Amino acid sequence: MATRRGFLAGMLATGLIPKPGWADAGGPSWLAAARLPGGAYNLVGLTGDGAELFRLPLPGRGHAAAAHPHRPEAVAFARRPGTFAIVLDCAAGGIEAVLDAPEGRHFYGHGAFSGDGRLLFTSENDFEAARGVIGLWDAARGYRRIGEFASGGVGPHDICLLPGGDALAVANGGIETRPASGRAKLNIPFMRPNLSYLDLDGQLIDVVEPEPEHRRNSIRHLALRGDGLIAYAMQWQGGGTDSPPLLGLHRRGAAPRLLAAPEAAHRRMAGYAGSVAFSGDGGQVAITSPRGGLAQLFDVRDGTLAALVERPDICGISPDADGFVYSTGTGTVGFTRRRAAAAQGHDLAWDNHLVRIPQAA
Amino acid sequence: MFRLPLAAAVIFAASAAAAYDIDAILDRHVIPGFTDLAAEAEDLKGAAEADCSATSAPLRDAYNDAFDAWMRVSHLRFGPTEQGDRAFALAFWPDSKGFTPRTLAGLIEAEDPVIDSQDSFATLSIAARGFYALEYLLYDDVFTEAEPEGYRCALVQAVARDIAAISDAILEGWTGGYADLMREPGSHDRYRSREDVAQEFFKAVLGGLQFTSDTRLGRPLGTFDRPRPNRAEARRSGRSLRNVRLSVEGAADLALLLAEDAPYAADKLLTALDRVRERAEALKDDPALAGAADPQGRLEIEILQQDIDALRRVVASELGPELGVSAGFNAMDGD
Repeated sequence: MATRRGFLAGMLATGLIPKPGWADAGGPSWLAAARLPGGAYNLVGLTGDGAELFRLPLPGRGHAAAAHPHRPEAVAFARRPGTFAIVLDCAAGGIEAVLDAPEGRHFYGHGAFSGDGRLLFTSENDFEAARGVIGLWDAARGYRRIGEFASGGVGPHDICLLPGGDALAVANGGIETRPASGRAKLNIPFMRPNLSYLDLDGQLIDVVEPEPEHRRNSIRHLALRGDGLIAYAMQWQGGGTDSPPLLGLHRRGAAPRLLAAPEAAHRRMAGYAGSVAFSGDGGQVAITSPRGGLAQLFDVRDGTLAALVERPDICGISPDADGFVYSTGTGTVGFTRRRAAAAQGHDLAWDNHLVRIPQAA
Repeated sequence: MFRLPLAAAVIFAASAAAAYDIDAILDRHVIPGFTDLAAEAEDLKGAAEADCSATSAPLRDAYNDAFDAWMRVSHLRFGPTEQGDRAFALAFWPDSKGFTPRTLAGLIEAEDPVIDSQDSFATLSIAARGFYALEYLLYDDVFTEAEPEGYRCALVQAVARDIAAISDAILEGWTGGYADLMREPGSHDRYRSREDVAQEFFKAVLGGLQFTSDTRLGRPLGTFDRPRPNRAEARRSGRSLRNVRLSVEGAADLALLLAEDAPYAADKLLTALDRVRERAEALKDDPALAGAADPQGRLEIEILQQDIDALRRVVASELGPELGVSAGFNAMDGD
């Protein structure tokens, strides 16, 4: 009779031992950084019902995370201008590696893995040169720093790998900051944000720039639909009571489409979109505004406003089944296509983003 | 000193949230502040017309008075102040790429007639306008002696005239409608409630203090290994520390008005503000923050920065809840 040990020995002999996968971390559906009531910061794994699965300590305030495509590993990034990123083993619960930004660089809070999980790309600031860079880390070998290339602009923030795995989209927010000046924005009158497409060698292959009158619309966050459609969320730095649209849709080779709610509803966003996501079925795209305390859901096809979700300090948003899941600074994890009672309250302040874990097929 | 016991303070906060007086804030802080700025800027324009030489004492006095008036309202960066880039046109700093001296030098080199009328001058890059441009023209050797003298003089007068025009436009924006929007929240969708107005003022206080700590002090401090005293704001005119003090006083004045019916928060604010004042006073022999480059001077500046940060924390944690606008974890984050 085959014992479990014998079975494993056989697997080992044939090199077939299953490596730990996300299922070994309890199968989280989302990750999010959060502040605990006592003021400490954690990375938290959430079940598909929005319940807490695990929490791992972070040394400071987090921002977003990047989930490894196969291994139960997440890289939690410090909020800018932090210089740490931590690779967490979400199955065993420990720190697997610590990434220190090289001298003269700091992280912006986002990153993305290559399709095979061997490389990690991070958005960084080369602050003396006021130049955005994408850092390359060898995820197959202990996350060694192996290079960097220009991000195609200033202030790169969110970054994602396109379907096919041969190119990155980078949201270059356009805003110059320097650690010595904290989070102060140093070039608002002259900022030039863009959405850059780079191949994995760092060659610029396509770029989308706002019209000149919208150059103060900082492109910060991205969402990707399976067919390569990119949604980009913006933060208006132009002041005043009115802002241009805060959401754009773009497909490489085509012109961007800007989406905005009718005027009164648009104003409620307060010129600020904090996160963006496509719905699980891809039919809708949503942006959140913690400043306005609402999310706006748009129909992707015709660009019309489909629904508003009003929650104080709402910011994180991510795909859920055929709708969205969202998180708030007041501790709620809620769902747009489920009963209101499905929402979960946590004794945590959820930070900016909800990161979806790649689900095994 | 009068101090409520903690439990009483909590009950007070719950029952008396948002008991600030919007009219008082507008009539005792905002409108008088911008009225002063417009008047001082008008004097500056007159002084430049009377004597445009860079060493003219009346001109430099008028310059400093107008800059003082701006610093006291520089935290009010919303509404008419922000409209049409007015605040940037008055005060474009930091200028990490050196746009201001470069643009001024270009104008002088070309003797560009764009400065001849206010209409055309107003189309110039904000880098060539406002208090920091005028500081170069009045205090930097490269510009105080620039030739031809006729053009240098006309440029000084044009920058002063433009400062007066912008200051007028800001005041007119406040008195000509924007203040009323804040007095009557709910009747329009710019401010839908009193809490929206409180949030705007609250953000102005925190934003102003943060800029002073992070940028006015953070830039010259640089890092321990690499201090950057040459990055101090307005160091040519020796106003760096003065700007820190005035900007903190301006923001704190607004905070105290917001706290008028919250004695516990007001008491904490005053205590924190006194520490900042004492620390700034102790630095009075280093007006341009040049001490950032030596260990002792640096320590003093760092302590001032920490005291301003402590004041910020009092604003966020004591005043915010009183106003019912506690800083949202994400809403105040801006990332």
